[in-house]
Amino acid sequence: MNLRLDKTVAAVASSALLMMAVPAVGIASSATAATRMIHKPTYTIGYEGPLSGGNQQLGLNMVFAVQLAINQANASGKLKFKLRLASYDDQGDPTISPTQAQAAVHNKSLVAIVGPAFSGATAAAEPFYSAAHIATVSPSATRVSLATNGWHNFFRVVADDGVQGPADADYLVKTKGFKSVYVVNDGTSYGAGLASAVAAQATSDGATVVAATVPGTSQCQNGTASATQYSAAATQAVASKATALFYGGYYCDLGLFLGALHSAGYSGAVMSGDGALSPALIQGTTPASAANGVLLTCACATSTNTTFNRAYQALSHFSAANATYAPESYDAANAIINAMKTLKTVTRSGIVNALHRLAYKGMTKVVKFQSNGNIAGSAIFVNKVNNGTITQLGLE
Amino acid sequence: MGAFGHYLAAHFDTLRLEFWSLFIGGLANGFLYGMVAVGYTLVYGVLRLINFAHSEIFMSGGFASYFVMKALIGTSVPNGAATIGLIVVGILVGATVGAIVATLLERVAYRPLRRRNAPKLAYLISAIGASYFLFNMAGKEFGRYSISMPQPYINHTVFSVFGAGVQLYYIVIFVAGLIMLFSLDRLVATTRLGRSIRAVAQDAETASLMGVNIDRTIALTFIVGGALGGAAGYLFGLGTGVVYTMGFVPALKAFTAAVLGGIGNLRGAMIGGLLLGIAESLSVVFVQAAYIDVVAFGILVAVLLFRPTGILGERLGRAA
Repeated sequence: MNLRLDKTVAAVASSALLMMAVPAVGIASSATAATRMIHKPTYTIGYEGPLSGGNQQLGLNMVFAVQLAINQANASGKLKFKLRLASYDDQGDPTISPTQAQAAVHNKSLVAIVGPAFSGATAAAEPFYSAAHIATVSPSATRVSLATNGWHNFFRVVADDGVQGPADADYLVKTKGFKSVYVVNDGTSYGAGLASAVAAQATSDGATVVAATVPGTSQCQNGTASATQYSAAATQAVASKATALFYGGYYCDLGLFLGALHSAGYSGAVMSGDGALSPALIQGTTPASAANGVLLTCACATSTNTTFNRAYQALSHFSAANATYAPESYDAANAIINAMKTLKTVTRSGIVNALHRLAYKGMTKVVKFQSNGNIAGSAIFVNKVNNGTITQLGLE
Repeated sequence: MGAFGHYLAAHFDTLRLEFWSLFIGGLANGFLYGMVAVGYTLVYGVLRLINFAHSEIFMSGGFASYFVMKALIGTSVPNGAATIGLIVVGILVGATVGAIVATLLERVAYRPLRRRNAPKLAYLISAIGASYFLFNMAGKEFGRYSISMPQPYINHTVFSVFGAGVQLYYIVIFVAGLIMLFSLDRLVATTRLGRSIRAVAQDAETASLMGVNIDRTIALTFIVGGALGGAAGYLFGLGTGVVYTMGFVPALKAFTAAVLGGIGNLRGAMIGGLLLGIAESLSVVFVQAAYIDVVAFGILVAVLLFRPTGILGERLGRAA
């Protein structure tokens, strides 16, 4: 997730954060007090992400999941230590994130971080965490280059941006056995990037690939083309005799295209990425039944675990079903806790090493890291539209 | 040359295979363009101005019929006589609201300027202002998401033409479009109102001296054009849903069609619309769908270079 914040907002926010650094120090001193209970030391797991500003909701989604994991671990009675949470609000902003990272580093009881949430903020904060050997497990930073900086302490439980396209192609060609794929992109940098990754991998998997650009329309504010183009574009797709169609783009234009494909008598499979993963896709497809069977993939998981959902709602007072990145944050926190359990003496660098060895069956996927900190396996989830609702099928 | 020959052969082969399905889809779009284009041409005829807010008449018709259809259809799947009834209601609601919005536009955005003998530029600004007001208002009131129009039927292939299936949706557009465009043509050619429209278009001052009520004629011209635009909004929405920006590009295409046929020329606008829709659709055989708009506006430029008055010439006043 990449984010840019308005400069004035950032300026106001950073000055506000200077004042917020004071309670962070407070947490540190109270933690020292807790270490007096000799046989049960207290360690702090930090969360860094946007807890105020325009992306506050995403941060809240995550921090409640981390809190839940900590509460459950403490309540289990199996820990040789007590855990507590400290939050570091970076607003998702790369200019604020280094200050927050330094505050976290100075917190003596803090042993690991869930986060940072955003890719830009992660890139800016990681030099500080890395120097202090603090493990950071991000639930949501997807920028590919984050894993290429040699930060031994960097981990993420979410697939990066380079994984989705090839994973989607493999799913269509290898798993589902489609031998001819019609790959459409909407001309946006997101859509074209994803579509070309799919086309390249599908070709190397041995499928016949026909690529086409059908630009986004003014009907959807994703471009300037006319929605009337879709009848001709759909005719072309049908004429290609492809058995599967991949659409790189957003839900609104895909909805229009699905209607036209339906009219043109297209009967093959349709797949698209996270840009189209929205209930608004079904709302905007005419007829809505034309959206049935569409496969939508995302690095993000939707929680189908009712126990988690109930506990999460009790803590956060909002539904886990729409809480993007909450399941990943829960897994990130539990990965850290499980790494801590394997250690005789809990230290910052000990957790980093333990995470490199970890194989933990999380809620969304098996958490096992590659040596660069990326999650092992494709870690892309596939969802399907069934009778007007989107349901998660599982990992690709 | 050999490579180029091969390129052409391959593409003409595709054209042969896909011609009829592309033609049918293009014809349906063409009818929609034509129904909107006549609105531009009629207003241009009587006022010598381009009603750039016509796109919002189209949008209003689409939304009005959406709300009525939502109330009438809900989640049911109509068939038989109910289908026909619902389509007629949708067209009538779209047309009525289109006519109302057109009348309001004429009253608020144009008539005050006409009273003060404002320069043509003022009308243009007024039209663009009205257009922005209307579509932003729609975005605020109805949301900024594309909403699917409740379907009065289950769309399916009704029959085939040379192997290309013809969808029920297209048949609805063909039938409705033919009836409306033919009626409009007869209205302007044979009725008393049509005579006044043509008279005002030819020479407003003389028409006024001959006893034609200019204000009334202009108002009725807006109503007629608005009704067709609003009805087209319903038919367009039936296929692609409604959203506050739905009018912009289709209306721009329709304006192109009107200019293509000869602005001010009623039959020109109809023929321009059909030609534009078909040409766009067939162009995907030779170039990617991404070039559809390039082709559409390329045709406009080419026609205007060689025949600045459009295909049929600029002549609403003389014969419709």
